[in-house]
Amino acid sequence: MSDGPGLESLVDQTISVITNDGRNIVGILKGFDQATNIILDESHERVYSTKEGVQQLVLGLYIIRGDNISVVGELDEDLDSNLDLKNLRAHPLKPVIH
Amino acid sequence: MLFFSYFKDLVGREVTVELKNDLAIRGTLHSVDQYLNIKLENTRVVDQDKYPHMLSVRNCFIRGSVVRYVQLPPEGVDVELLHDATRREARGG
Amino acid sequence: MAAAEEESAVKEPLDLIRLSLDERIYVKLRSDRELRGKLHAYDQHLNMILGDVEEIVTTVEIDDETYEEIVRTTRRTVPFLFVRGDGVILVSPPLRTA
Repeated sequence: MSDGPGLESLVDQTISVITNDGRNIVGILKGFDQATNIILDESHERVYSTKEGVQQLVLGLYIIRGDNISVVGELDEDLDSNLDLKNLRAHPLKPVIH
Repeated sequence: MLFFSYFKDLVGREVTVELKNDLAIRGTLHSVDQYLNIKLENTRVVDQDKYPHMLSVRNCFIRGSVVRYVQLPPEGVDVELLHDATRREARGG
Repeated sequence: MAAAEEESAVKEPLDLIRLSLDERIYVKLRSDRELRGKLHAYDQHLNMILGDVEEIVTTVEIDDETYEEIVRTTRRTVPFLFVRGDGVILVSPPLRTA
C-alpha cells in the first residue's frame, strides 16, 4: 500500500493549490508529507473578482497545512501562459463546508 | 477497505468528483489511496464559465476529506459484487 | 437457520442499514441536501454507493426588495453516486408496509 498523496512527480514543478477557504495559491512544490502538508516556493495568490481581472499577490515561501488543502493541480505552463488573467473575471471559490 | 478496493478497480474510468465547495471536476481516475484521496487526469471543471480557477490544470490531486460525491460510470458498477462485498465488510471481514 | 438469524438480527444501527441493501433509502446530508436512491454498498463510515439517485438541494435566498425568504429546491437525477459518509446526517430505511 502506497503511503501519502503521491505528489513525487510534481516536485520542482509549478502547482496550483485550492485551499479550503477558497483561495488559489500558485507556486513551485518543494516538498510534501503523508498528511498532504506542502512546501511551496515563489508562491503567489490569484485573487478572483467579478469587478476586475485576477490580481496576483506575492506570498513567497509558504508551508500549507494538509487539512486546509482541497485540490493540488499540476499547472500546465503552456495553457497558463495563454490565460488572459487581467481580463478573467469570476467569483472567488466558495469555502469548503464540512 | 471496501471503497478503497472499489475505487482501485475503477482506475482508468471517467468520473466526476463533486467537492464540498460545489466545484465539480471531471476526469480519468488515475489513482486512489486509503484516505480516498483521488488523482484525476485530463481534468476539466464541469462549469468552466463559473469556475475558471483551474483552466490551466489537466492533472490534479483531490483531498478525500473535501469530496462530497463521486458520479460513477454505470459500466463501472457491478451491483451484485457490491452487495457481496458490503455483506462481507459488515461481518467484519 | 442460525446463519439466517444472524443475517436478520438488528443489534446495532448499522444492522438496520444492512437490511436496506438493494432497497431505496432516504439520506439527509449536510448543506441542505437530500438523496433518494437504491443502496448498493456502504461501510462503517456511512460512505455509500446509491443507484438511480434523486438529489434535492434546498436553498434560501432573500428578496432584494421585500427581504422575504425565497425557498428554492433544485432536483437532479444521477445513475450511480458514491456519497462520502462524513456528510451524512441520517439514513431512513424504506417504509415496510404489510
